[in-house]
Amino acid sequence: MTSLKNQNPRKKVQVSMVICDAEEKKHRSGVNAVQLDPHLDRLYSAGRDSIIRVHQHEKFIHGMEHHTDWVNDIVICCGGRNLISASSDTTVKVWNAYKGFCMSTLRTHKDYVKALAYAKDREHVASAGFDKAIYLWDINTLTALTASNNTVTTSSLTGCKESIYSLAMNPPGTVIISGSTERGLRIWDPRTCGKICKLKGHTETVKALVISRDGTQCISGSSDGSIKVWNIGQQRCIQTIIVHTDSVWALLVNESFTYLISGGRDKKVIMTDLKNIQNTILVCTEEAPILKMCFTADQQGVWVSTSSSTVRCWKLPTELHFKDDISFLSNQQISVIPGDAAIIKATVLNDKRHILTKDSAENVALYDVLRACRVQELGPVNYINEINTRNSEKLMYVPNWFNLDLKTGMLAIHLGQDEVDCFSAWVSAKEAGIKDHPEPDFKVNYGKLLLQALFEHWRGVQTDQENKVYFSVPRHIPLILSEIGGRTLYRVLVGDTAGDTENALLNETVPNWVISNIEDNTTTKFLKVQFYLKPDSSVPANLLKPDRLKKSDRLIANDFIQCRKVAEHVLDKLLGEGTATSPGSEGDVQSQTTNGYTLDQIQLLCADQPVDLLMDLRTVKHYMWKYSSDLVLHYKIFTK
Amino acid sequence: MGANISQLEKDIGSEQFPCNEHYFGLVNFGNTCYSNSVLQALYFCKPFRDKVLEYKAKNKRTKETLLTCLADLFHSIATQKKKVGSIAPKKFIARLRKEKEEFDNYMQQDAHEFLNFLINHISEIILAERQTNTTNNSTGTTNNVNKSKGAAENGTANTAQNQNEPTWVQEIFQGILTSETKCLNCENISSKDENFFDLQVDIEQNTSITHCLRCFSNTETLCSDNKFQCDNCCSYQEAQKRMRVKKLPTILALHLKRFKYVEQYNRHIKVSHRVVFPLELRLFNTSDDAVNPDRLYDLVAVVIHCGSGPNRGHYISIVKSHGFWLLFDDDQVDKIDSSAIEDFYGLPSETQKSSETGYILFYQSRESL
Repeated sequence: MTSLKNQNPRKKVQVSMVICDAEEKKHRSGVNAVQLDPHLDRLYSAGRDSIIRVHQHEKFIHGMEHHTDWVNDIVICCGGRNLISASSDTTVKVWNAYKGFCMSTLRTHKDYVKALAYAKDREHVASAGFDKAIYLWDINTLTALTASNNTVTTSSLTGCKESIYSLAMNPPGTVIISGSTERGLRIWDPRTCGKICKLKGHTETVKALVISRDGTQCISGSSDGSIKVWNIGQQRCIQTIIVHTDSVWALLVNESFTYLISGGRDKKVIMTDLKNIQNTILVCTEEAPILKMCFTADQQGVWVSTSSSTVRCWKLPTELHFKDDISFLSNQQISVIPGDAAIIKATVLNDKRHILTKDSAENVALYDVLRACRVQELGPVNYINEINTRNSEKLMYVPNWFNLDLKTGMLAIHLGQDEVDCFSAWVSAKEAGIKDHPEPDFKVNYGKLLLQALFEHWRGVQTDQENKVYFSVPRHIPLILSEIGGRTLYRVLVGDTAGDTENALLNETVPNWVISNIEDNTTTKFLKVQFYLKPDSSVPANLLKPDRLKKSDRLIANDFIQCRKVAEHVLDKLLGEGTATSPGSEGDVQSQTTNGYTLDQIQLLCADQPVDLLMDLRTVKHYMWKYSSDLVLHYKIFTK
Repeated sequence: MGANISQLEKDIGSEQFPCNEHYFGLVNFGNTCYSNSVLQALYFCKPFRDKVLEYKAKNKRTKETLLTCLADLFHSIATQKKKVGSIAPKKFIARLRKEKEEFDNYMQQDAHEFLNFLINHISEIILAERQTNTTNNSTGTTNNVNKSKGAAENGTANTAQNQNEPTWVQEIFQGILTSETKCLNCENISSKDENFFDLQVDIEQNTSITHCLRCFSNTETLCSDNKFQCDNCCSYQEAQKRMRVKKLPTILALHLKRFKYVEQYNRHIKVSHRVVFPLELRLFNTSDDAVNPDRLYDLVAVVIHCGSGPNRGHYISIVKSHGFWLLFDDDQVDKIDSSAIEDFYGLPSETQKSSETGYILFYQSRESL
């Protein structure tokens, strides 16, 4: 391992994967931002599914994948050559917009990056978010960054006391404004980083901001439901527009600052004449709350993104509709980029390998974590019934070994997070469905199997039988290494891990707890269950060995052993005549006995219920014992 | 009454001495003032006393519980021939030491912990008795007795209908707090109700109870490492959370958090801040859908901590009875002027370590008086 990195104590690193399709052409979840490149007439949309997608009219061009959490905002710069994105993964990324690859990642922010602002004339971009900081970046410097020359200087605007939710900068880059949960607007001069003023008036978070080209006026939209027009020179609110019945989340204004388009939580897009704010026209009513809007190239229409995955373009009213009182027909859809459903519920089944999911279109599907794929699509069936049916097929308990989340609308599986021990789940090769294993009862570890599959290509061919890869995950699956509860360190596709650059980066980031388990063949020990074995009151004392009456039998065994083995232990060690060994030694149980009893005469009881001898100890403890104290098993003997 | 008339009777005056009222001190069995002070306060919470005496009258020969011991104690005070005197709560203390390990010693205990234990325990006893009655009467199903540990969990675990009906202890002391959480991303509001037997209030120097209650209901922002897991957004988002009172109890018990853990000393330190508690109180931190937001409360009893730390010092109580105030210090009972209550607000500066300060306040709703 690289010595440099390990000298710095840092947070524990977790390994994650996202179960997705080979090509995710459609947005899976809400779309936080839309931007149009007017030269190529391409629409860029920033998804909560972590992917930025590019469409030409309605045709999908490509996806830009590198973020690991919601993309919250994007700006197109350098005449369409580059794109800057801000994400909840706390990074800002610089992209080659034409080819769709990530050129560099800025990790200066310490929390979600929520908003970007762009000064076109100076090619400057500002980023802000929940760490209360605003950073100013020179885009020409950013695009010149290389792997060896990757330091960048930034100036920061300070003073915000709470999380920033919105940001705006005028094209010449002379004024920058931030909106936050503080409710007031803060204004700076980005050239000097000096504060200009603070504008008070809103009573809730300011979530949308636009500014005039000359920087003299700005408009703010707030969760208090109002829109305010401000004169920055006079530092006062000159107009309050109330056209929405709920929070205002998105604003768009034409270049001459004569009309305003607003959208929000009430799902309505409304156009207001800024010269006479009584003139308002409903553009459309969307199916979900409105998050962002941008003009079409001809300014005749507006692209609208919402918390649902479909992006639509709607026809806008013209000056004529305001002036001459010609009626405008709302809801004229020009084009649509349909989205896909997001997974909104996921339940890990009792085998701790399969996950049943339900998506926003009510469809239920079954996923296999070990193969990182969807194995069955069940359609709109009853989700709860399906879970119950599948879990009641076989009573079994396997310890938790992974965490999951659905923040991107796709299944993300995390190993090594928090208190969940990813090496806790041992099952037999047979139970894991490994058909070609020489010993069907051989115990395999789910966590280890998945890690082996994820790092299969990085590690190269394994000849060792012990480390044979029984499961593979598709090559397109993103593998993410990140600090627990913190920032992403590295994201790579499983199939790309063999590449030279990727290999070197992985060598630096793969944590030791993974290496030692998949390479050095020192997989953690089996989990033990401690339990007491006591004779039922019906068992005649003369059948037992004399010393059994004095002390109780406290035993320790692997959590996956079947109760049959416990019954064999009773037969061999506890009933008279057998050769006494120390209780707790397990495994070398022989079925021949000298006391004349056979296995079918032994019954085990847990909490007064008879135990199925094929059940393993952890299942008995989980489903039958149910107490936090040590498991107690009683045994009964049936006489012939 | 004759020559040996007590000082207390003199102070009150035989003309003014309320009929059917008894002022009896409680003998200290070695650091049992935490119990004595709370028992006196509860005895002068009239709705509670009435219910305990009613329980005594209804349950003649039942097996001994902490509640039967309490009922016997209250009954014996209420049926004394003398008007004043002192009494030894021997049986109650013995039972208490059996019931809870933590109280089975001669160390000073936290009066609030005792109150909390007592109210929860009585509620459990009533529920258990109700359970036995129904199981005896009808089918033989054995449900688990509700073993709620804190006020917040109480009443949520039971599904049987009769178990959901509030006990008389709950009817007197139990209120509902509602916590509303607004996700700052989708702005959906989720709310959750919790039952409480007392409100535990953080205190600030030179303020009032009203101020502290307002702070109790201040909006808290869940952010940075403490973000809110929003079900609607399927992700961690910033959120604003606040707690407000949805149902006001008949008797509002306010616990002033005067014992603060200080890491530096590795122990709890007493906070003697001066916090004014008015004789009349109205709550302002009620939720929009509160059942009875306008309730007016009167101060009826205060448990006072004297000394410098949680495990040292002394507990006394002051109670209001028939319009005048009495101070109970174990077996001693004295009439005090209502202006003397100010002495128990706390210290306006940090100079002295030891103080005599209001610790648990009992406010009774005026409608129930």
